Amino acid sequence: MARRGRRHAAAVTGADGAVRPWPALLAVVALLAVADPLPSPLHDDDIPRVLAFGPWPPPLQPDPSSRVWGQPAAVAFGRQLFHEPALSANGRIACANCHQAARGFSDGLPRGIGLARGDRNTLALHDLDLQRWYGWDGANDNLWAQSLRPLLDAREMGASLGHVARTVRDSPALRSGYRTAFGQEPGTDDERVAVDVAKALAAWQATLRSARTPFDDFRDAVARGDREAAARYPQAAQRGLALFLGRGRCYTCHLGPSFSNGEFHDLGLPHFAEPGRVDPGRHGGIRKLQASRYNLLGPFNDDPTRSTATSTGHVALEHRHYGEFKVPSLRNLRLTAPYFHDGSAGTLREVLRHYSELNEERLHADGERLLVPLKLTPQETEDLLAFLDSLNEKPARPQ
Amino acid sequence: MKALWLAALLACSASTALACGEALGPGTQPLAGEGWQIAWRAAPTPIPVGRHFALDIALCAPAGQALPATLRVDATMPEHKHGMNYRPSVKPKGTGLFHAEGLMFHMPGRWELVFEWRDAAGATRRLSQALTAQ
Repeated sequence: MARRGRRHAAAVTGADGAVRPWPALLAVVALLAVADPLPSPLHDDDIPRVLAFGPWPPPLQPDPSSRVWGQPAAVAFGRQLFHEPALSANGRIACANCHQAARGFSDGLPRGIGLARGDRNTLALHDLDLQRWYGWDGANDNLWAQSLRPLLDAREMGASLGHVARTVRDSPALRSGYRTAFGQEPGTDDERVAVDVAKALAAWQATLRSARTPFDDFRDAVARGDREAAARYPQAAQRGLALFLGRGRCYTCHLGPSFSNGEFHDLGLPHFAEPGRVDPGRHGGIRKLQASRYNLLGPFNDDPTRSTATSTGHVALEHRHYGEFKVPSLRNLRLTAPYFHDGSAGTLREVLRHYSELNEERLHADGERLLVPLKLTPQETEDLLAFLDSLNEKPARPQ
Repeated sequence: MKALWLAALLACSASTALACGEALGPGTQPLAGEGWQIAWRAAPTPIPVGRHFALDIALCAPAGQALPATLRVDATMPEHKHGMNYRPSVKPKGTGLFHAEGLMFHMPGRWELVFEWRDAAGATRRLSQALTAQ
């Protein structure tokens, strides 16, 4: 690989320049450094970043806030609930209506439509156990609270806690599923039963791991120092990756195995959900989070130590969060068009055009100064598209 | 004999200079300014990008000055003109010792880790360290 620099720090370096890299990465870098240069546009100081995009797939991450997380009976009950329209107010809308497996568990619409049209694009449901915040505004800090939200949202399934609990108690099939998953009959406390329903839904959704991609094969080849296998990764994708890590600065937010830092940023998109009504984005999300009974600091967290509530307890509400939306994963984008929180980009080419021709006046004045118009050449656009295409899973997704 | 006294004095001086942060054990990062010293150590180490980390901190005052009861910890990205998305909590753990939780470098790049406190006269004191998260 080309020699852009000799420093290979993979974590934090001090101002004195002292480097404290990960020993395993140093070994990989050393291996590649002695090999002949790859016919690659990548630099050897890109290697730690490339390796940090994996390995894939990771194991299911634990969630102690739900006592049924990872339990097969809860997973099976959650799948049953996910396809159950009786949970909605009108008995006709299941979670699966908007989260369609063939579309990466999204719906193909700019904005989701349940009982009414929503403000935001329906998010895909893969790799959810890796996330810190849920929803475009991060209004929930755990997957079961995020699963309860659409059940109760008037524009989505429009149910009440009582409706959800009664539906489970009154349906022999759902009652049986509840008993198997939770080891007892659904009780008379509607809120408790509804939260348990959400915990079962979360247990199932957490199993939706996206499959390996051509990029993962390339990443692992780099990790092994296998030049022959790495060379099979298309040159256009390698150029796109180099741009992603370099001039494009995409890596600043899209990092790690999910290609997301899990946080929120202002992309300079229009702030209005509809004429005259602003979507506050992350600012509103933090306010909802802090007011919620279902956050990780609340009474429904099954973990008495609150061991996963660090983010919730420390999140800062600042004016700059207005208009910020979640950095999404870049895996399986082929299935989940349209893009952005408002579904305003129909294709990935339109997404790249947005970054290429960015309207800086739309960025909040007190926000970060990270984004600048990339002014991509046609070739660069094609290379980035080739790289993003390599993040799609290889086999067809099971229905 | 005079040489022995000098050696003992130098040893004592070196011991004093090293004293700040000794209670935290090895592997601390030193900071100093205007007679004040800080030693800090992160957990986990190396500090990961996009994940929370904690700090154990020792603050040492110049001779004759009192230690503060509270300490503020923050971090910013000067080039991006923003700080962290989280407000760290800092708990006193004994004389001059503190434990900070809830920090996160949510982006790679240059961060400035900042420690602030008030001295006995009420003046704000500040020590900072530039770090590059990758």
